[in-house]
Amino acid sequence: MRAAEQQVPTVMPTTNRPINAGSSMNDDTSRLDGVAKVTGRAKYSRDMYLPNSLFVAFVRCPYGAGELSSSDEAAAKAVPGIIDLELKPQACTYHGQNIGYVVAESPQAMRRGLRALNCQWKRQPVKTKITDAMPENGGPDADIQGLIDKAELKLDAVYSTQVQTHACLETHGAVVDHRGDSAIAYVSTQGTFSAKDGMDKAIGLPQGQIEVVCEYIGGGFGSKFGPGKEGLTAGRVAAKHKRPVYLFTNRAEDQTDTGNRPSSRVEVKLGFKKDGEILGGWMRVLGGVGVGGGGGSSVPSGRYELGEIKREAADVKFNAGAPRAARAPGAPQGAFTEELMLDEVAMIAGLDPVALRMKLSKADDHKDMLQMGAKLIGWSDRQKTGSQKGALRRGLGVALGSWHRGIGNADCEVVINRDGSVEARTGTQDIGTGHRTAMGVIAADGLGVPLSVVNVRIGHSTLPVGPGSGGSMTLPNTAPPMAAAAADARKKLLALVAERSGAPEAELQIVGGEIRRGDKVLMGWKEACATLSGDGITGRGHWDRSVAAGDKGTGSSNGVQFADVEIDAETGVVRVKRVVALQACGRVVVRKMAESQIIGAVIQGIAYALFEDRVLDRNIGTMLNANLEWYKIAGPVDIPRIEPVLYTKGQTGVRSLGEPPAVPVPGAIACAVFNAVGRPIRDMPLTPDKVLAALEGGAS
Amino acid sequence: VNRFSMAEPRTFQEAGTLLTDKRFKLPVLKAGGMDIVDHLKEGLIEPDLLINIKRLRMEGMTEPVSMVQRKGPPLLRIEATATLDQIAHSDTVLKQAPVVAQAVESAATPQVRNVATAAGNLLQRPRCWYYRNASLQCLKKGGSTCFAAEGENKYHAIFGDGPCHIVHPSNLAVALSVCNGSVYVIGGSGGRTAISIAELYHMPDKGVGSEHNLEKAEVVTAIALEPAPTSGFYSIKEKQSFDWPLVMAAVALEMAGETITAARVCAGAVAPVPWRLPKVEEALKGVSIADAAALKKAVAGAAEGAKPMTDNAYKVKLLPVAVHRALLKAIGRNPEPGGAA
Repeated sequence: MRAAEQQVPTVMPTTNRPINAGSSMNDDTSRLDGVAKVTGRAKYSRDMYLPNSLFVAFVRCPYGAGELSSSDEAAAKAVPGIIDLELKPQACTYHGQNIGYVVAESPQAMRRGLRALNCQWKRQPVKTKITDAMPENGGPDADIQGLIDKAELKLDAVYSTQVQTHACLETHGAVVDHRGDSAIAYVSTQGTFSAKDGMDKAIGLPQGQIEVVCEYIGGGFGSKFGPGKEGLTAGRVAAKHKRPVYLFTNRAEDQTDTGNRPSSRVEVKLGFKKDGEILGGWMRVLGGVGVGGGGGSSVPSGRYELGEIKREAADVKFNAGAPRAARAPGAPQGAFTEELMLDEVAMIAGLDPVALRMKLSKADDHKDMLQMGAKLIGWSDRQKTGSQKGALRRGLGVALGSWHRGIGNADCEVVINRDGSVEARTGTQDIGTGHRTAMGVIAADGLGVPLSVVNVRIGHSTLPVGPGSGGSMTLPNTAPPMAAAAADARKKLLALVAERSGAPEAELQIVGGEIRRGDKVLMGWKEACATLSGDGITGRGHWDRSVAAGDKGTGSSNGVQFADVEIDAETGVVRVKRVVALQACGRVVVRKMAESQIIGAVIQGIAYALFEDRVLDRNIGTMLNANLEWYKIAGPVDIPRIEPVLYTKGQTGVRSLGEPPAVPVPGAIACAVFNAVGRPIRDMPLTPDKVLAALEGGAS
Repeated sequence: VNRFSMAEPRTFQEAGTLLTDKRFKLPVLKAGGMDIVDHLKEGLIEPDLLINIKRLRMEGMTEPVSMVQRKGPPLLRIEATATLDQIAHSDTVLKQAPVVAQAVESAATPQVRNVATAAGNLLQRPRCWYYRNASLQCLKKGGSTCFAAEGENKYHAIFGDGPCHIVHPSNLAVALSVCNGSVYVIGGSGGRTAISIAELYHMPDKGVGSEHNLEKAEVVTAIALEPAPTSGFYSIKEKQSFDWPLVMAAVALEMAGETITAARVCAGAVAPVPWRLPKVEEALKGVSIADAAALKKAVAGAAEGAKPMTDNAYKVKLLPVAVHRALLKAIGRNPEPGGAA
């Protein structure tokens, strides 16, 4: 969409957070699609109610384990509007597992059909958590045990984290518009291109005849790669009935069967010296993966010198929905464990937590951010852990985060039309980070034109290929080729202008939409474009591993966060008052989007640290809070003052930002709570019942 | 959602008549619709008639809140369909019964409070996550098990002997309890016109299928309460935005100078009904509000007699705190720790 067409300006200078002024390529631009999103003009895949659509819902097991004992297919089929029903009963091993689906003419008929089907289940015994099913206690081998035994100081602790669901505002699903010899799939996806994978078999058309469209997505956080069972089923039903098919999960289905951040349990035995040097130890890292795999917790993180750590890891299965990638998989739970562990080391050794981290952290930018952040949060006011006696206690905590750089393939195009309009094209979706805006900013900047003439086209699989939004790989891999495409288009235009005007090409430039020769304005943008043929100009940029090897950027995605919390010692209620989040991400493209990425990560981390928890009934395995009423997410009053600090020292090259700021949050909060309470709470979320128990000496 | 008819009665009498209309299997009242919509979406009830009373008022009662003069002290009257927001911002309620204003102000979100009604708040069904799941046939839905007893009972009751362990969700009921509140009704068989808050609800052993004692055709038309200018409400929540209280408390005091001559204290989210604390009421009698230690001592036994379940013993610790803070609010002190007195 064109920024100029919008009701409110997209260029709005910010006066807050002066610390970040001038940190980016473009400090003042707001989201190009912000107005469309808040007015409802932006159509998400879930909004695609096509004429003549069929509606599909899965038949799901409501218990952690069970078998279908009876159902009434005849009654379901007799419901007006039900046109198809597939049931393949099987032993189910988690709440939300599907055994078939109903197809209906309307969402209402779909629900009536499900109800008429009247599935009755025979429940079976369940296991619902890591401690129900974990392997026998292991322990360090003789060498490591010897190292621990000889150490001056020791720590022996168990840390655990709960399951966090993705809770995307837009639930999972797809709409498949079957058009006989072609199909358009509107998928809520963070991978416009990977969403096609498998659709060919489902729809019965070659992938070359299927277009995936996802112009807007209401949250993914790692849970929306590929077509998913929702997309594939929609495709199959569309092919069978030759009609558009709508299949989106409802909230309860979304909470139980579309992935989660797995729970973790980490047993730690550590030996260290009085000066804080850690000699080494043993960690057993268990991931609670339900019926899936790929759990675990990224601890040790590699950010600290921890001596010789012997690490064992295993997934523990039980009766619950499987995990999927969740914003920095493994990392926030790892940071919770590692950072709280370090604060316990500091406490035992009588050291300051920042000083200990200065000693143990490996990266120079981490150390620099530790010092910067300590000043910003007012670390010198921090009271000694356990020293407070009043009903209101304050705590300060700190944690580190980091993330890797993933290289993907991407092609971008910048088209200049004869009327002067510009298109910036990449098929890659905008998962919500502001990718659309960043693409526009880079194209406009590269051409030398105002953003208002650029229309950004994204989220169609017919556009040039780009990465899925996973591993924080989107902008780091689309920014360079979009810049290259803009440079290519600019060069082509200037070559033409040079030819027509006789001015040497090397002396021409485009500034603010004007063609200049030195200080002189040679012609306006429209005038220059009018000399183009009707085909316009297409500039192209390409990016892959070999091109990336030539990128000499020195950015990192390291971050440090400080949390300031208040504990009500009578009620156990924790309130986060302030978070200072320092974050490096290479060259910042659009400041506001970068800041909001950090703020969003902190909000999500606060909810994870304090509230969120997938509650499964221990006897029947049913998720009891498969809604947003009892699955608790931070609301406005729970959100503190959050101060994102864009760390720019030595930062060049566009680097990861989606996941990195999500890493340290629970660690910083857990350490701040420890500081206030005087005892560590080693089990997330940090709810009032646990805080009260810790205050009374019954810590985890 | 099943198909249903919608009726727009002109009076509460008509609404009551429709409740027993034999042409319908399950006629239900709808005011703000907050709880009804939840029930419809989850498939917990399948009414064939919704009786919309959202805009109904008793004749002549144009204001959501009014003062009724009578022999003795006047009464506050809140219309059944007054919204929580109207109550929270009524100058009369704020002045005459701050406990009520504070209770409704603490409920849900501004969006909900703009729609939810007084009577709807009193008669909403429990939020128990077993009751609210249509796949689970718990006691309340005619089944043979209270899943909470052996299951996930962190948010359940610490008082009562079961067999169902819900907590009553209405914070307005807790506040009304300390204002000698009652509801006006019409349409009952015995011709009764008012029911006290204490008599409005029953414990699960007196019938687990519903929480209140209204007859089928009985409709609440208004709420009456006695002024309680020295009163306060406090709730403890995990989340400060849109969360159900872990524990809540309401306190109303009668004073002679600085001395408490009578106290009414009620707790919420701890029992299947609003839970009066007569021992605390007794202990507060004669205490000077200038004596901070004595106030704290008087509420210390608030959770006496509690029988916590496996996961909710923390509520035993929270209850005296909530009562103490409601008491502080009643006497105009800042209940928050670290706050100025």
